[in-house]
Amino acid sequence: MCCVFESFRRKTLPLAIWPPEQAQLTLYDCRDIPTEPAFAVRVERSLRPALGPRAEELVHLAFLSGSGEKELLLLRFLHTAFARGTAAAWDYAHPDTAPVLALERAVTEEAHLLMGFVRFQVHEGMLGAVIRPKHYALPLLRPHFCGRYPDSDFLIADLTHRVALLYRGGRAEYVEIEEGFRLPPPDAEEAEYQALWQQFYKTIGIRERYNPTVRRTHCPKRYWACMTELMDER
Amino acid sequence: MELLQKLTILSDSAKYDVACTSSGIDRAGRRGSMGSCSAPGICHSFASDGRCISLLKVLLTNVCVYDCSYCINRRSNDLPRAAFAPRELADLTLQFYRRNYIEGLFISSAVLQSPDYTMERMIETLRILREEYRFRGYIHAKTIPGADPGLVQKLGYLADRLSVNIELPSERSLNLLAPDKHRQAILRPMGQIAAAGAQSRQELQTYRAAPAFAPAGQSTQMIVGATPESDRQILRLTEGLYKKYSLKRVFYSAYIPVVEDTRLPALDTKPPLLREHRLYQADWLLRYYHFSAAEILTEEEPNFNPYLDPKCNWAIQHYGMFPVDVNTAPLELLLRVPGIGPRSAKRILIARRQAALDLEGLKRIGVVLKRAQYFLCCKGYGGSRQPRRETVVRALLDPMAFNAGCEQLSLFSAPQVQMLADTGLPPQIAGRMVQEEVVTRFAQKM
Ligand code: SF4
Repeated sequence: MCCVFESFRRKTLPLAIWPPEQAQLTLYDCRDIPTEPAFAVRVERSLRPALGPRAEELVHLAFLSGSGEKELLLLRFLHTAFARGTAAAWDYAHPDTAPVLALERAVTEEAHLLMGFVRFQVHEGMLGAVIRPKHYALPLLRPHFCGRYPDSDFLIADLTHRVALLYRGGRAEYVEIEEGFRLPPPDAEEAEYQALWQQFYKTIGIRERYNPTVRRTHCPKRYWACMTELMDER
Repeated sequence: MELLQKLTILSDSAKYDVACTSSGIDRAGRRGSMGSCSAPGICHSFASDGRCISLLKVLLTNVCVYDCSYCINRRSNDLPRAAFAPRELADLTLQFYRRNYIEGLFISSAVLQSPDYTMERMIETLRILREEYRFRGYIHAKTIPGADPGLVQKLGYLADRLSVNIELPSERSLNLLAPDKHRQAILRPMGQIAAAGAQSRQELQTYRAAPAFAPAGQSTQMIVGATPESDRQILRLTEGLYKKYSLKRVFYSAYIPVVEDTRLPALDTKPPLLREHRLYQADWLLRYYHFSAAEILTEEEPNFNPYLDPKCNWAIQHYGMFPVDVNTAPLELLLRVPGIGPRSAKRILIARRQAALDLEGLKRIGVVLKRAQYFLCCKGYGGSRQPRRETVVRALLDPMAFNAGCEQLSLFSAPQVQMLADTGLPPQIAGRMVQEEVVTRFAQKM
C-alpha cells in the first residue's frame, strides 16, 4: 500500500510539480520501496471509477496539505475507501474520512485566504508576488489569477515550497526557484501605489472599534510579512 | 491637492459605511479585459478594527449640501473637503486592483451641488472603468437619495450591487435627524431597484447576452443606537425589507458619536457593539436558519438578551421541544440545536445516509457537543438525563458578554459588566460576578 501511495504521489498527481526537498521529506516512510509507475497510473486511474468523483477530488486536494501526517491519513482513507466504494467519501463521520476532509478544508481555506492576501508589485509591466503558505496552494491559485489577469504576465513565488507559478504570454507553468528568491526593489511609481494603499489601510480602520484579536483571527500573523499594509505592524 | 491627501480625506469620510463585501456574483475573466468576480466574495485585508477590506471604499466627494446631524460630512461641520475627478478614481481603482489589494470599488458620495449632478459623476467614473478599461471586477455603488430614476437605472447597468441606505430604523427618527431626507425618497429607489433587478433576471433567462442590472442585488444599512427603537422594531423592519425588496443584505452600524448635538447620544457614549453583534446574529437566523423575527423577539421581550446569542436564547425558552434526534430530524429542526450550524447540519444530512450517527461521529463532523449535548439524542445516546439547569445555562452563555476573561475591558462586554467595571472593579471580576448572577436567574426561569 505504501508503495502504491508513494508512486501514486510522485508520478501521477497531475496537479503540480513537486519541489525536491519536499519529496525527500516524505520519502522516508517508503524509502526502500521501488516505484512502479505503471501501477501508480492504475491507482490514479481507478480513483474516479472505483471511488467516485468526490473521492478523487478529496484525495487530490488533501494531498496538497503541508501537514506531516497527510500520507498516513490518506493511506488509511484509501484503504477503507477501496473496500467500501463510493460511499466512503460521503461518510463524513467515519474516523478515516473525517481527518482527510479536515486536510482538504485546511488547504482550500488557505487558498481562499491567499486569493485575497497575495500582493503584487509591478516591475516593468510584470506582476510579481511572494507568499509563504503552509500548504501547497499554487494549483488552486492558478485558475483564479489566470482568469483575473488574463492579459498581464505575472509570477507568484511560493517560498515555502520553492516553486513559482509563472504566467507569460497567456501560458502558465510551474518553475523551481532558488533559495533566497526575492522580488526586485520597487521603482518610484510602485512605491507610490504602495504608500497610497498603506495610507488607505490606516485610514479605513475605526479607532473607536479597535479590535486586534478579531483582526488576527481573520488574518493570522503568519501572512503579514508578505502583505504590503501589514508588514510594518508585525 | 495631492492624491494621497485626497485618498485620506475621502476614505476617512467613507469608513463608517459598513458594507465592504464583494459577494453575490460569479464572473469569469476574459481576454481583453481585467478582472473577475467570485460569488462568495474575497476579503483582501482586515483593518485594525477587525473588519474585512474587500473593496476600495471611498466617497467621490465629501462636499455636501445636506445637513444630516449624525454624519461627519454634513454641511455645518468644519472638515477638510475633497473630490475625486472620475478618471482619477477609475485609475486608482485599476492600479489597486492590479496589485490584488482589492476586489473592486465601493463608491458612494456626499451630495455635491445636487443629487443628479452627483449621480452623473458617479456614472462617469463607472463608465470609464467598465467601458474604457474593460474592468470586470466588483463594483458596489450607493445611489444618492432624491436622484432621477433614469440615473439610478444607468448606474444599475454599470454596478454589480446597488445600495440605498435606510439610515435610521424609523420615519420619526429620520425626520428628526435627517430633515433633508424623506422616507419615501429612500424607499422609492429601493422599489425601483428591486423591480429592475427582477426584470433583468427574467430577460437574462430568455436572452443570455441581455445587460444585467445590479446582478449582485441590493443592500442597505442603518444606524443602531442613535435613536430609541427597540431591537424588535429593527428586526421586523429588516425582515420586511428582505421580503418586500428582496434585499441581499441589511447592514447595521453601531452609532459612534461624531458630533455634539442635543438630539443625539452624548459624545462620550460607547458604540453599542454587543447590540450590533446580536443584530447580525439574528439577521443570520433570518437568512440561514429558517427563523422568523417574531420567534426571535417578542412583545414581552423586545430587546436582545445581552448574555446569550439569540438562537441559544430561543432554545432555553423552548427547552421542552428538545432533544432532537439527529438521525431523523429535518434540516429546520437540526438548525435549532445550539452547537449545530448550517455547515454541520448539511454534513449530518449527508453522513446519516451512510450510517447512523453517534456522539463520536457528531464530534468528527464538527458539532459543538459542549452545547449540543443537552439538546440532541443519537445512536447510543438518549439525551442528557435531567442535567442541572445551571449546567445547561452555563454551557450556552456567550463568554464575550462577560469580558471573556480578559484583563482589559472589552468593547463587547454587556452593559452590566461595563457599569461594574466603571466603578473601579477589575473587568475580569466584574464579568465573573455578573455571570454567576445570570446563571442563577436564567436557571430559575427555565
Ligand atoms: S447627505 Fe449623506 S453625506 Fe450629506 S450629510 Fe447626509 S448622510 Fe452625510
